[in-house]
Amino acid sequence: MEANSDTPREPQSDQRPLDSRPSDLLSREECLEMFRQLYLARYFDVRLIKEKKRGRLRGTLYSSHNQEAIMVGSLYGLKPTDWISPIHRDMPAFFLKDLRGNWDAEERSGMSIEEVCAQVWGRVGSPGRARDNWSHIGSKSKRIIHSTSMLAGTIPVAAGVVYADRSRGGDAVCLTYNGEGSTAQGIFHEAINFATVHKLPVITIVENNQWAYGTPVSQGSPVTDIADRAKGFGIPGYIADGQDVFDVYDKVTTAVNRARAGEGPSIVECKTFRAYGHGDHDDDRANKYRDPEEIMLGRLRDPIAICRQSLVSKGFLSAADAELFIAEGKSATDATNDDFPPEVVDFLNKGIEFAVNSPLPEAAEGGMWVFKESN
Amino acid sequence: MAVMEAVAAAKSDAPIAKNYLTAIKEAISEEMTANPEMIAMGEDIGLLGGAFGVTDGLLNQFGRERVIDMPISEGVIVGSAVGMALNGKTVMAEMQFIDFISCGFDQIVNMMATYHYRTAGEVNLPVVVRGPAGAYGGGALYHSQMNEAWFCNSPGLRVVCPSTPYDAKGLLKACLRDGNPTIFFELKELYRRSDIAEVLPDEDYTVPLGKAVVRREGTDITLVSYGQNVYHCLLAATELEKVGVHAEVIDIRSLVPLDEETIFTSLAKTNRIIVVNEAPMTCGFAGEIISRVTTKAFDLLDAPPLRITRLDTPVPWVKPLELYVLPSVEKIVQAALATVKY
Repeated sequence: MEANSDTPREPQSDQRPLDSRPSDLLSREECLEMFRQLYLARYFDVRLIKEKKRGRLRGTLYSSHNQEAIMVGSLYGLKPTDWISPIHRDMPAFFLKDLRGNWDAEERSGMSIEEVCAQVWGRVGSPGRARDNWSHIGSKSKRIIHSTSMLAGTIPVAAGVVYADRSRGGDAVCLTYNGEGSTAQGIFHEAINFATVHKLPVITIVENNQWAYGTPVSQGSPVTDIADRAKGFGIPGYIADGQDVFDVYDKVTTAVNRARAGEGPSIVECKTFRAYGHGDHDDDRANKYRDPEEIMLGRLRDPIAICRQSLVSKGFLSAADAELFIAEGKSATDATNDDFPPEVVDFLNKGIEFAVNSPLPEAAEGGMWVFKESN
Repeated sequence: MAVMEAVAAAKSDAPIAKNYLTAIKEAISEEMTANPEMIAMGEDIGLLGGAFGVTDGLLNQFGRERVIDMPISEGVIVGSAVGMALNGKTVMAEMQFIDFISCGFDQIVNMMATYHYRTAGEVNLPVVVRGPAGAYGGGALYHSQMNEAWFCNSPGLRVVCPSTPYDAKGLLKACLRDGNPTIFFELKELYRRSDIAEVLPDEDYTVPLGKAVVRREGTDITLVSYGQNVYHCLLAATELEKVGVHAEVIDIRSLVPLDEETIFTSLAKTNRIIVVNEAPMTCGFAGEIISRVTTKAFDLLDAPPLRITRLDTPVPWVKPLELYVLPSVEKIVQAALATVKY
């Protein structure tokens, strides 16, 4: 029977029920590690906001508060050989990559907290010697693509990286992170189009936090669910609860497994909410151009609290242990070190100590490395 | 077998003069043979062999993994080339017409050009973006551009523009081995010109970047150019010779890096200079050369340096309009005579 064009269409959400939940296979230790990583990401943000307010940092701070589950849940299942391309709001992703419980490991396929802090502080200890700001770092050896400010522009680069990897028999995937705002860019669609033609293992994660700087998603996208964009390419579009680290893990792992098996790209839309302004310069205005009720509701489902509930119901966390560190629901001003596990505070302290003791680059470095010296 | 023998015989008896297009084709093919990590990509470059046939035969020679028919997206062509180079490949990325490069502009100037700088030297991107450029063929606004100035103004890019088959082959090879991202301007009106075809060395060779060449020696005035305008300068020099003016013609070949020495050495002899290019005048590369002359070699000048460029207009379609806005032999001769008499 042919559909009558007047017939109301089915709802367009492409939230596919998963055949299985990969997170069911995670051990207690792994789940607790992901929980700790949420604290790590939150503490990084809280501490940097405090440092910035004390005038110790330069540059714009793009808070990842309330969006930590997307980073932790998507990165946790990766192999060391996999690539990522984080964006401005994903600063913790640089050290969360390949962390997996080995926080002090010398050799891992992610940045050390020292490197990340040196970058934030603008010191030579940064992987890019502080030549571009904040999140615009990366590392070829750690398999992190360096982003620019032109968002969605890393998706074609990701496609090229995995194309090269596949030509050498590798099975690396690349996770590219994007906001919902950049899905309006032509390159977003052009790159997924190319990746799909070649069945490249590129997973486009869309952190739909409802706001692209000062523009709500309703003004930037004709589709409510960005995952629906996948239909035009004939690829899966998964919707994850961006506040639930295990749901993100499930959807991303499913997309990754598919990509690694040679079946091509997916889009994983993670529904979330931007807690503060676009950057810290925008915090005050963001409380005006956004409805107070919307902000209150958006922050209500804190990823740390949701993870804690899951762990208690899985029986991985006792009721007593669950109450030890309550960081959720606290703004950077309210939160203190006592709200976080001590190893989390120590981890970042180590990074900050390295950063503040790392010198500024020599001024003349500003003129260096425009070209590689000719062979 | 008979064909092979005929080819061998032709090769041994009389060396074959090769045109500009063949020279470029050979450079790509030879580099891909020597470097298994090299990839060629672009619109219609495989099955079709390229809109102009530059990549004809590559697909059969190297297969679909290394010769990629890309979707029509210059942004993805450049962006994925960057990704491949980031992960160990050398990439030749063709723009079907250099005019279309604007669709990939962000990936070129923000992603590719800055990568080495941003990473304090950790990442080198051996990517050559090349394509047919230039006017005089009735290609109209979007198949005639010379937009080299955009890229000269974006630090981190080599910008190269050969005028002869020998240079086209040698410079393209040099660029592919250089390790820096390059925008390589080819003149489509030169692709099949038989009068500039030349015998190329059998052995592997490169032409160094940043080295200009004197195409004709003279003592009275220096004409500096690149690309197909070099031939306008040479014809103008022939005309000028008839009235006793000996013009020296310099082909800079690469814009970034620029060989200033060869220009200043010539100027020390002639004390007069005209720079010719077919891009529009304002903020064009002719202006850059003259700026360097006036700031670094002012004492050598006996007359105001001049620019002969396209008018500050797009390139119009029909012949009279097109020729009206472009540099010509006539315009160069007139300007040279005025400069000599100054």
